Formats: sequence, structure tokens, C-alpha cells
Amino acid sequence: MILAVLFANSEGNILVERFNGVPAEERLHWRSFLVKLGAENLKGVKNEELLVASHKSVYIVYTVLGDVSVYVVGKDEYDELALAEVIFVITSAVKDVCGKLPTERLFLDKYGRICLTLDEIIWTGYLESTDKDRIRRLVRLKPPTEF
Amino acid sequence: MAQPLVKKDDDRDDEADYSPFLGIEKGAVLQEARVFNDPQLDPRRCSQVITKLLYLLNQGETFTKVEATEVFFAVTKLFQSKDIGLRRMVYVMIKELSPSADEVIIVTSSLMKDMTSKTDMYRANAIRVLCRITDGTLLTQIERYLKQAIVDKNPVVASAALVSGIHLLQTNPEIVKRWSNEVQEAVQSRAALVQFHALALLHQIRQNDRLAVNKLVSSLTKGSVRSPLAQCLLIRYTSQVIRESANTQAGDRPFYDFLEGCLRHKAEMVIFEAARAITELNGVTTRELTPAITVLQLFLSSSKPVLRFAAVRTLNKVAMTHPMAVTNCNIDMESLISDQNRSIATLAITTLLKTGNESSVDRLMKQITNFMSDIADEFKIVVVEAIRSLCLKFPLKHRSLMNFLSNILREEGGFDYKKAIVDSIVILIRDIPEAKETGLLHLCEFIEDCEFTYLSTQILHFLGIEGPKTSDPSKYIRYIYNRVHLENATVRAAAVSTLAKFGAMVDTLKPRIFVLLRRCLFDNDDEVRDRATLYLNTLGGDGAVVQTGEDVKEFLFGSLDIPLVNLENSLKNYEPSEESFDIYSVPREVKTQPLAEKKAPGKKPTGLGAPPAGPPSTVDAYEKLLSSIPEFANFGKLFKSSAPVELTEAETEYAVNVVKHIFDGHVVFQYNCTNTIPEQLLENVTVIVDASEAEEFAEVASKPLRSLPYDSPGQTFVAFEKPEGIPAVGKFSNMLRFIVKEVDPSTGEAEDDGVEDEYQLEELEVVAADYILKVGVSNFRNAWESMGADCERIDEYGLGPRESLAEAVNAVIDLLGMQPCEGTEVVPNNSRSHTCLLSGVYIGNVKVLVRLQFGLDGPKDVAMKLAVRSEDEAVSDAIHEIVASG
Repeated sequence: MILAVLFANSEGNILVERFNGVPAEERLHWRSFLVKLGAENLKGVKNEELLVASHKSVYIVYTVLGDVSVYVVGKDEYDELALAEVIFVITSAVKDVCGKLPTERLFLDKYGRICLTLDEIIWTGYLESTDKDRIRRLVRLKPPTEF
Repeated sequence: MAQPLVKKDDDRDDEADYSPFLGIEKGAVLQEARVFNDPQLDPRRCSQVITKLLYLLNQGETFTKVEATEVFFAVTKLFQSKDIGLRRMVYVMIKELSPSADEVIIVTSSLMKDMTSKTDMYRANAIRVLCRITDGTLLTQIERYLKQAIVDKNPVVASAALVSGIHLLQTNPEIVKRWSNEVQEAVQSRAALVQFHALALLHQIRQNDRLAVNKLVSSLTKGSVRSPLAQCLLIRYTSQVIRESANTQAGDRPFYDFLEGCLRHKAEMVIFEAARAITELNGVTTRELTPAITVLQLFLSSSKPVLRFAAVRTLNKVAMTHPMAVTNCNIDMESLISDQNRSIATLAITTLLKTGNESSVDRLMKQITNFMSDIADEFKIVVVEAIRSLCLKFPLKHRSLMNFLSNILREEGGFDYKKAIVDSIVILIRDIPEAKETGLLHLCEFIEDCEFTYLSTQILHFLGIEGPKTSDPSKYIRYIYNRVHLENATVRAAAVSTLAKFGAMVDTLKPRIFVLLRRCLFDNDDEVRDRATLYLNTLGGDGAVVQTGEDVKEFLFGSLDIPLVNLENSLKNYEPSEESFDIYSVPREVKTQPLAEKKAPGKKPTGLGAPPAGPPSTVDAYEKLLSSIPEFANFGKLFKSSAPVELTEAETEYAVNVVKHIFDGHVVFQYNCTNTIPEQLLENVTVIVDASEAEEFAEVASKPLRSLPYDSPGQTFVAFEKPEGIPAVGKFSNMLRFIVKEVDPSTGEAEDDGVEDEYQLEELEVVAADYILKVGVSNFRNAWESMGADCERIDEYGLGPRESLAEAVNAVIDLLGMQPCEGTEVVPNNSRSHTCLLSGVYIGNVKVLVRLQFGLDGPKDVAMKLAVRSEDEAVSDAIHEIVASG
């Protein structure tokens, strides 16, 4: 299960947080844990270079994309490698939506489209689509090209 | 023309800086949502409002029930618009709002229309939304469409239905299970993602049917699985099949070739999954392991951090069971110590410490030193523990490892971290004689500037025991006496005791120690002064260079030999009188800890800490109770009281349990009775015990219970005489006899006349374990060595077929009733052999130590070697007899 997808700006303010199967009372804890993790480790990290951490049986893969940081949390079948796949899909789709590495402003300007993109990638905790071109089409309600 | 989302903030001129959502407020956005009700819909404006609503929800904002309902009803109006972009937003919004069952009905028809639409993308999205908000009744209505969708030629529609199926399986398993045929067809799909989703769903549908999973795996491992993700799933399911079949089949491991083949797959994800599956096989052999380790080694030097992390995490696990298999990767792992990702670095270090060889220790320590400064305390403790194990493995390297520990001891750190280091140094001093003097000096330097009272006092105590035995004990005195000047009262008192120990053991130092102790007589703390006075008197106040008597040494150094909790309780119960407190009256039984506490980690060898003390014992209460009954007053000292044994089933009319009290020549059964019937009063309650199957026991006394009202427990006792000091065993059958009187529930008064009645109870046994006290030792090896082999008895036993090794170990522990030491009662999974250490006190106050070595002999047969050491060979023999007859 993909437990959480979280976007934050460079100051650690949340831009998007989507939880699946995480009780409401634990969300705040996860949010601050992830933001702290990013603050401690993401300085000087290259765009899209992945960092990994594990916390008990839960895995976290995170990275920087322009002005925003992206965190993906998973457990069970979504271990570090599967999450790396998920975050790769997310970052490439977000870049695709923004047309380049997103600044915070650009990210917020494209907010609606980014929400739709995430909706195509993750279906409450499960990876649904992996190809950015296909995702771009699905967001516009167009059938995939391979079909 | 669309309005700007938010007014531009006056303070911020730079447009790039301000957020389009700056100053966003829930109330205002909810107001804006009224545009959804406009007769002339503006799709762009509506999309912007939905974006704002999504932004609020994605920030963790919540809507009240009323707000959510209002927005939901408004959103449903948007189905009227033909704008595709807006429709897509509407789908997301409905999912986010997750409307309640009575609201869903509003959108059902619109969504069902979309689900049967000719536009594929409407179908896919409508399926996802419907499945998210649906309940069982609606699901039966749309089931037909969903089954069609699973095999739809558009992969997006098929995937939408399949992933929906995965979710619906949690809530409506019966319905989803009916889709097996369609899902099976989808597994053969040419679209990679459809295959992935179909495989996941099919496995979930069939996961409880072992044969079906086996069949699924068999067919797919032969065929071609298109997506790497699906291949990873297949590997996981294959490992599951291997795990389950290992219990039933002998011979070659099924599917190993498939796993090995996956190591050559082009996707790294698949290679890793296969490698990990191989390392986790039950009883994996070196031959099976080698190819997996080789690919993991390659991943260690990958440019992708995720792969490095995954590889080192897996190798770390392998190192616990097969350290030799991992040694080839050591060079690659050493380079990971400087990895920017701290999680990778810590895993690399702890793995290296498990697998490193003697020649690499120095190099490793140098690398770790740089690393330690920038990791958190919890990682540091892991490293310290790994270093301790390494030092015990390579004692010749104690110098550099001890130096490392003393260096980190001087750096900043919390209590747990410092305690871990001190414990490690103490263990090394105890186990490596050459490390003793340097280790003690490191500890001395540490207490010069130690902020933790607990650690200071523990180190002072340890110094008092080990310091006098060194070549030059005088050099420690300065460090100890400094504490008397500079520390708080607790540490000062500990320092006084330590000084006295040096005085007692080193005759030449005695006069000088006396000078120091006399100075302590003016301390402003009672305890410090009292201790100084006590020791000056004990050691002989004139301070001459004379040898200290053995009894004084015993007083200073002898172990208390009594659980501190019991001593505390006995002292609390002691009432000041003419008779002085008798330390021998303190019971020695340590009550076993409840299971929940045993689960806590902490089974590692303890350093300074004493063996864990049990919770407050009930033994005192028993002793007090029994000594107050004249019939039992002359039975002597209570040796042991058992845990209560239930003699009735739960929820019967009368609840009775029994506690067995063991004395040297007597056994007393204490029957705890409870009357659970409000309309009855029991009187003259006794238990009639038939001891015909307990030949060595003769009943000597019985103490009836005069009255047993409803829900007010009482006790009746029966005492037996048995041969003195002999662990006699036997079986006793019990009958509860009483006079029952009816009680008027309205007044609570009992009738005058009663009827005699009986109630059959379960049988009760006195077993060998009743004659052994659970008394732990803190360092089994030392205790074993100091006991010596004079009264050792060793023999081997076949325990026959057993469920598991752990079950056999527990059976023997229960049979002997002794205290497991150093966490050896826990048997690691998949072990084929295990050593368990037990300690106890046998009736007659004879200490017994037991070393049990278990091994699997064939598939299930367990063989056991039993070595017993005690202070009396008859007792060693008795332990063997217990095992032989048990």
C-alpha cells in the first residue's frame, strides 16, 4: 500500500498531502516527520536524486524537484524499489504538467492538473498508471495512444 | 473572462513569489462553490473553484458534514456540463468528498450513464468513482458492467475495474470472488499494467486456496509476464509457495530455478526481488545463496541510492544468519560508510561489524570514528553494541576497540547511549582479562565528568570489586575520593563503600583508607556518614596494617542473594520490636514476569545492571498468612509457593484455585474459593483430598473455612507431611464439601437450616518443578565457571518428535521450573540447534545451573544434551531424574 504522497515547498510548507490507510490522528506526525527528514537531508541534493529511509516496516523515498520536495511512503509490496518506481512516475508526470522543473509558483498555478495527475497515478494506495504520456492523455480524458 | 484566483497581496510585488492560494479561506471558497448552481455554467470558473477545494483538502483541511453535503450536491449539478476538463475535475471531487450512502443516490444515475458511455475514458473514471462510493446493493446492480470492464480492450478501463476490484475485495469479497474467470482472462492480457493489476487481484481472491496459488504460480513461471511490476509480484507469490511446500515436500526446492533465472532479468526491480526472495528461503544453502549475493554486491556500487539501500538492507539481514556469505561484499560496503544517505551508511557499518575479519578492524574503526559524529543516538547505540560483539569475537583487538569506546564516551550523548558504552566496557573487562586495567582507567576518567548519577554509582560499585585485584590498586583511590568532594550524596555514599572495599582487600592501603573514611564522618548527608561509621567499625577502627577477616570480606563483597524487591517488602512488613529483623526470613523466590514484559527488548547481556528484578512478590503475603495459622506454625521456613492452579472451569457456581506451598517436610494446599451464587451462603467449607496416588504424603491438618458468602473469596487449607528434603511427587483428587444455606435476596439473610453438599474439583499434582526456585544469575558463564565441574552430571536424551525446537525448549523449561538466563529461552526461527541456560535453587537451598543443548535429529526428532552443575551431586542427579522421568 502506498501510504502517503506529500509535496512540500522549500520551507517545509505542505503543498499536497494525500494519505491512504493512515488514521487521521497519525497524519500530523507523518507530516512533521517527513518535513524534518527532508530538512535534514535534502540540502544540496540534485534534482530527482532519490533518498531512502525506513521507519519500522515502512519505507520512504523522497527527492527534490525544482522548488518542491516530494515524499512517497509505502509498506508491504511498496518497498523502496516499488516506491522508487512510483516517485519516478510522479516526478516525470509533474515535470510534464509544468513543462519544466517546477517553481513553487508554477506548481501552484498547475495545481488542479497536478491533482488530476496524482489521481491517475495512484488509486487510493495502489499504483495505477506508470507512463507519463498516457497519464497526460488520461487527465484530458483521452484514450491512451497504444490503444 | 475568469477572475483571478486571489487578489494580489500589496506587500509582495514580485509576482513569482506569491501563491495563487495566498489568504485562501474555507468559508470564502464554500461561498464561491455556489457558482456550481448557476444556470449558465462557466466551466473554467468551476474548475478553479474545484482546484481551490482540492487545495484545502490536500492541506489537511476538513469539511463538516453539512459543508461536505452542500458541496457534494452542488458538484452533482456539474454533470450537466459537457466540458471534458470540468468532468474530469468532478470525478476527482466526488471521490474526495466520499459522500454518505443516502447522498450517493443523487449521482448514481449520472455515473451509471457514464459507465455505459461510448467514450472509454468516461467509463474508466465512472467505474473508479462508483467503486469508491458504492455499497453492496449498488454493487450488485453494476456488477455486470464491471465484469465486462475487466476484459475491456481498452487497458485503462480494464485497469480501472481491476484496481477497483482490489479495493472492493475488502468490503464485498463475495461479489468480487465471482469475477475470477474475467480476472483470469485479464492476467493473460497483452497490456503490461492490466496484467499487473489482474495478477494482484487474482492472488488476493485465491490467497487462502493454497492449491490454486500453486497452480497460478506454476503456470505463470512458465509463461511470460510482461511488466516488471507483475514479475515482482510473481516472485513474491512464488516464495510463498516455496515456504509452504517446504513443510510437506522433501528433495529439491521447487521453483528455485525460476528465482535464479529472474536474477538475469533486465529490470533491476525484478533482479532485486529475486535476490531477496532467495536470501529469505528457509534453510537456504550457500550454493543457493551465492548468485543472489553476487547481484546484491553489484547493486552496492549502483549510482542509484535506492538500489544501494535495498542491497545493503538485505545483506544486513543475511549477515545475521550467514555472515560468511556476505564477507565478499565487505570492500563495497566499506565505501558505503561515507554514503551521503545516513540510513545506507548505518546499515553498511552494522553489517561490516558483523562480517568483518580481524585484520580489517583497525581500518573499520577509523572510518566509523568520522561517521559517529553525525548520526543520532539510536544509531550510535546500534554501532556500540555491534562493536562490543566484535571485540568479544576478536579479543586481541581489544586495545583499539576499547580506545574507540573511551573516545566516544567523552563526547556528547544521552543517558542510553552512555549506558550502552559503559555496559560494553564492563563486559569487555569481565571477559577479556588483558583489557581490564585500561578499561578501569577509562571508567575512572569518565566518572570525573559524568552527569548521570546512576552510571557513576554503578561504576564505583564495579571499581570496588575489580580495582583491588589490579596490580596497582592505589592509582584508583584518587578518582574515587574525588567523588566524595565533588558529587551529590548518592554518589558520595557509593564512593565511601568503594573505598571500604579497597581497604578490606588491600592491607597496605588500609591506614590511608581509614584517614579518608574518617573525613567522611563529617559529611552533611546521613547515609554517607552512616556508611563511613559502619565501614570504619567493620574494618577495625584503629587502621593498622592487618589482614581483614573473611567474614568482613563476605559482608562487603558477598552477594545479597535475595531479590531486592522481596527484601524491600519484608522490611516494610517488619514491625519494630524486641526481635531484630532476620534477613534469612526474606523469601528468595523471584516471581516470574508476566509475558507482556518479557516481550520488551533487552535480552542482551547486561553490563552493570543486576539481573532484572521481578515485580513485587506475593510470597511475603503468603508467608504472613501461613505463619498466622497455628497448625502450620512449626513447618519452618516457606521454600516456595506456586502460581494458582485453577480447579474449576470458568463461570461455574463455585470458582476454586489452589496454591501449593512447599516447606522442607510439609506441603500446604491453599484453596481459594469464591461463591458465585447470590442466593447461597456456604458454611464450613473444606476440601476432601484423596492422596491415594501420592504415597509419600500423609494428611496432617485441615483448616476449614467457616463461611463463604456470595462474591467474597475465602481460603481453606489442607496440609500434608512428606519426607524431609525429598522432592516427593504425586496426584491428589479434590472434593469441595460444605453446608449450603438459602439466602433471601430481598433481605440478604440466610435461612437457619442448611444442607450438606459436595462439588467435584479437578485433580492437582505436585511435580518436581515445585521444588525448584526460579532464581536468575546475571552472568551465567561466570556462575558456571565458579561452580566448577565437581558435581557436574552430563547425559543425552532423545525427546522424540516435537512440533518445533522452541516447543521442546519450553517443555523442558516448564518441566524443570527453573529461571531461563540471558534470554536463551527464545529460539530463533529456523534454528536447527539451540542452547538454553537455566538457573535455580533446589529445595535445601542448593544452587543449580543447567545447560541444555538441543539439536534437531532428522526432520522433527529433538535430541538434548543436559549438563547440570550444582553444589551437591545428589541434586545434579535429581535434575537428571526429573528429565528422565518427565
